[in-house]
Amino acid sequence: MSEAVKVVDDVTFEELLANPYPVFKRVRDLGSVVKVDAANIMMVTRFDDIMAIERDPETFSSINPQSLLNTVIGPNLMRKDGEDHARERAAMDPSLRPGVVKRCWAEPMQVICDDVISQIEHKGEAELFEELAAPIAARALADILGFDGVDWQTMALWSQSLIDGSGNYSHDPEIARKAREAASGVESAVDRMLPHHRANPNPSMLSSMLQADPPQTVEQIYANIKVAIGGGLNETRDSILTLILGLLQNPDQLARVRAEPSLWGQAFEEAVRWISPIGMYPRRLTRDTEISGTLVHKGEQVGLCVGAANHDDRRFSDPDKFDVFREKKSHLAFGAGSHFCAGTWVSRALVSQIVVPMVFERLRNLRLKDPELVRVRGWVFRGPTHMPVVWDA
Amino acid sequence: MPTIRFLLADGAELAVEAQNGRTLMETALESSVPGIIAECNGSAACATCHVVLPEEIMVALGPISEHENDMLDFAEAPRESGSRLSCQVRVSDMLDNVSVRIPSA
Ligand code: HEM
Ligand code: FES
Repeated sequence: MSEAVKVVDDVTFEELLANPYPVFKRVRDLGSVVKVDAANIMMVTRFDDIMAIERDPETFSSINPQSLLNTVIGPNLMRKDGEDHARERAAMDPSLRPGVVKRCWAEPMQVICDDVISQIEHKGEAELFEELAAPIAARALADILGFDGVDWQTMALWSQSLIDGSGNYSHDPEIARKAREAASGVESAVDRMLPHHRANPNPSMLSSMLQADPPQTVEQIYANIKVAIGGGLNETRDSILTLILGLLQNPDQLARVRAEPSLWGQAFEEAVRWISPIGMYPRRLTRDTEISGTLVHKGEQVGLCVGAANHDDRRFSDPDKFDVFREKKSHLAFGAGSHFCAGTWVSRALVSQIVVPMVFERLRNLRLKDPELVRVRGWVFRGPTHMPVVWDA
Repeated sequence: MPTIRFLLADGAELAVEAQNGRTLMETALESSVPGIIAECNGSAACATCHVVLPEEIMVALGPISEHENDMLDFAEAPRESGSRLSCQVRVSDMLDNVSVRIPSA
């Protein structure tokens, strides 16, 4: 016998933003699909259910031409499936493969990181969101896309405006205006850069898209570069801060990782499991079906709460704890299935091999200025928003 | 139907009947072969479906794509001369009774 979708109507939106994990736990224990009124979405929160859904894209489709995301940035690979998706994905992958990251991007990312840290090193204190993580994430992304001469503040503004526009379900005209402005800003930058990349093939994403077979149309380039800007900046920034936060709150783990640098990769995976930068993304039903016994209907949308799956106590013991040395198991912070994050290998290299090791190397005796001042917020996107630290300058 | 002999990281062998045309990764998942995680479900993006094939099969299968070649260097278990992403190898009679080893990380 299949069950109907249960409803949670006594959670506020503010509760979700402040700390979604207690809500996720309640929902996970209540049923396999639960409508949460405050978020106006049917949540899937168990690890095994999400993994199974991501192995069945014909039933749980990403195709959604009417989505706000498509309205704001144009038809893009995140909302396509099958061959259409695979072709656009293959056009960006040559810039993002792990070997390319190592050969082509590690050095420029090192230079950016060194530059940003050099600017704050002498001060002995900083707010790491604004003074470290945001500029590094934005400058690294600009390099990888092939955007010369776009400053980090502009990258960050574009990224935030596109994200806000894609989540503008209340149709706020000011948010919509900013998103349009960001979209045309990105398009002008693409127009300005394309002749250079056409004349000088290189490993950047713009150049890869031009070299692809068949080459991507300008519309495809506009849209998918916007996906990379909206999806590749904040997540990287947030994971830098989360990894630093987890280690500062657990000095014993920090000491072990610093003593054994091969553990940096493992520490990063634990950070994105612990506070996943993307907590939820949607899929649309192409037919009536059951998710672990709960009936869902054709046309409905479910929110895959990977943030919840990454705290599923059926899979991870003591899931709310940051523990680099927990039993090794795969997580869902980068999603799963054919839309598995294209930037996985870039962020692994940048955050775990370059930025965070350099931060602890250069900012001696780094510590939180006051644990009470740290702010972590969000549920669809979550990360530290304010992190003042001090060190021995 | 060819039989695939999965050689697990702990040394045990799991023989499974496979369907021609499916990938080795799909075959492994259907039989819950431990060690094949396949996060990206066959998109050659995650490198969590790493297997090692015998030399003569590698030769018979022919060259691998630049993308797979790059990805294999970053699989968790070190790459070997017979390394492949199992999601990029299709089952055929050629693989009947072949040992497909899951390397230990
Ligand atoms: C820690 C950092 C990051 C995390 C946690 C993350 C997470 C994710 C997740 C969960 C998805 C799947 C969304 C869905 O299926 O609807 C995704 C997709 C994507 N990500 Fe990331 N991401 C990160 C960094 C990056 C970076 C640095 C880039 C670009 C350089 C990037 C580019 C993309 C793209 C293009 C997609 C769409 C892939 C597709 O539809 O095939 N991401 N990311
Ligand atoms: S399943 Fe991800 S690379 Fe094969």
